[in-house]
Amino acid sequence: MTDAPADVVLEVEDLAVTFEGPDGRRTRAVDGVGFSVHRGRTLGIVGESGCGKSVTSLAVMGLLPKAGARVSGRVVFDGQDLLAASERTMRDLRGDRLAMIFQEPMTSLNPSYTVGDQIMEVLLRHRSMSRAAARERAIEMLRRVRIPTPEQRFDDYPHRLSGGMRQRVMIAMALACDPGLLIADEPTTALDVTIQAQILELMRGLREETGAAIVLITHDLGVVAEVCDEVVVMYAGQVVERASVGDLFAFPQHPYTVGLLGALPRFDERRDRLSAIEGAVPDMSAPPSGCRFAARCPFRIDRCAELPPLAPVAPGRLSRCWRAPLEALAA
Amino acid sequence: MLTVISKRLTQLVPTLFFVSVLIFGLQHLLPGDPALVMAGEERDPVVIEQIRRQYRLDQPIPVQYLHWVRGVLSGDLGESMRLKEPVLDLVRQKLPVTLQLAVMSMIVALVLGVTLGILSAVYRGRTLDHLVNVVGLAGISTPNFWLGIMMILFFAVELGWLPASGYVSPFEDWRQSLATTIMPAFVLGNSIAGVIMRHTRSAMIQALDSDYVRTARAKGLSEGSVVLKHAMRNALTPVITLGALEFGTLLSGAVLTEQIFSIPGFGKLIVDAVFNRDYAVVQGVVLVTATTYIALNLLADIGYILVNPRLRA
Repeated sequence: MTDAPADVVLEVEDLAVTFEGPDGRRTRAVDGVGFSVHRGRTLGIVGESGCGKSVTSLAVMGLLPKAGARVSGRVVFDGQDLLAASERTMRDLRGDRLAMIFQEPMTSLNPSYTVGDQIMEVLLRHRSMSRAAARERAIEMLRRVRIPTPEQRFDDYPHRLSGGMRQRVMIAMALACDPGLLIADEPTTALDVTIQAQILELMRGLREETGAAIVLITHDLGVVAEVCDEVVVMYAGQVVERASVGDLFAFPQHPYTVGLLGALPRFDERRDRLSAIEGAVPDMSAPPSGCRFAARCPFRIDRCAELPPLAPVAPGRLSRCWRAPLEALAA
Repeated sequence: MLTVISKRLTQLVPTLFFVSVLIFGLQHLLPGDPALVMAGEERDPVVIEQIRRQYRLDQPIPVQYLHWVRGVLSGDLGESMRLKEPVLDLVRQKLPVTLQLAVMSMIVALVLGVTLGILSAVYRGRTLDHLVNVVGLAGISTPNFWLGIMMILFFAVELGWLPASGYVSPFEDWRQSLATTIMPAFVLGNSIAGVIMRHTRSAMIQALDSDYVRTARAKGLSEGSVVLKHAMRNALTPVITLGALEFGTLLSGAVLTEQIFSIPGFGKLIVDAVFNRDYAVVQGVVLVTATTYIALNLLADIGYILVNPRLRA
């Protein structure tokens, strides 16, 4: 962490989210997660489905259902603890300083309103501007996300747009008020590969223009390599590794990360079958007391029955593994 | 939009044809002879014969039908055998009464049904939701005649606030008109409100769980705006169709309630006509009701298109 503390936009410490089912069964979906995001930088949160990455982002936004979700820890944004903030304060921040885009561009826009209306709505909510000014700004936003003929598209209903175009509209809406932080939850997962690349390129460009910090949630390491500066790898509700993107890909320091990288198909190697991580994610309503990855880990030792801490293994990087650093093992 | 309307108007022709054949045919299956009813106690064969000839009852049914259709097409619904009045005039007198009652009932039903439906969806699984569901179920299951009688007993007999029965046209005295129709409108609206409430609830729950509602929340919109603007607009589409269908039912189905409150509307007209084998009146009323019903469906489809831009293409 070489940046000055003033540059930190979002600091998450010891975040935990527990869901309580109607039968009283508790599931700890997020357990002691911590990371920080800096101005103008992109943090990737990586992990397979169910690892708690989306829940983490919804907790930051204050969008988890009030009934049934218990959130603890600290989420400091612009010097303010969001978990202690009132619902009213959160509503004022959401859409303005804090913005989010989602995985499903096909269903995330309201089918009954034009895309222009939906972008204007966020401006009228957070900025005291006239409808005419909001309209102008909305068209400008559509232009900035490279939607052709934005004046005409303004009056289109979402069903007239393709998935990629809709995700551009979502981005335009999210960035309309110049947020300090943009959370993108799997923004390209539902899109074609070529469209994915365009959207990522667009996000990168807009980050440079606006200086917003981005939290990019994805299961796709290719996307991480493309746009992220730093990466948090999550497994079963916990952070298992934190590193800069270069370090992570060069020397993964957690067996799970090694497995994820190994599961990436590559052109320069011929393999008879794709490698996969054996086994399945543990049941989160009764997680193992020791290392949560132990059951699937090829490097397991006796000590793994005890939960390893998220400890520094090299300057600027953390790993939750008793056997880290892993250089010797990976060879 | 215009294509949809013209398509539906074309469908109107065969539909109405079948409806007319059905009403005409079915009613001749009814036991009893209108001429006998008309002739009264004495049953003088000469009089009966004369009545039969006058109303073409002596001719084969297809011929009678053709004659009737020819009249309908030229705007003549025939003449009531009992009241000696053109059916069209009777319809003209009674339709506004039934229409007023139907509109008022619909307002009661929509206000109650949509409001309670939204509340129970927003407070899903909580006490308010259970309470609303119990109230809604009670509304659906309470028989109209019982509720009507109870309301008369309480508000008219006990408290003396409202007249127990009768009808005053709003063009004569709108206050009195409101006073005479508010109870029957509530009775009719109440049972429909329960159905509308249940549909609104499930549609709203679906809408509130949708991704676009999550987006609306992520924009920092107030809960009011999220629920009433983003979720409701999408949830109300099925409710519009339901409302139109229920409105159509109100036009023909208020028989019992109209009887209880002595409202001189369609319901009373048709019941009297059936009992007296007054064929022309039954046919005329059913035809008008059916046409209105179909027209309402068309209006519902148009409303559907207006709130749902995906159908506008």
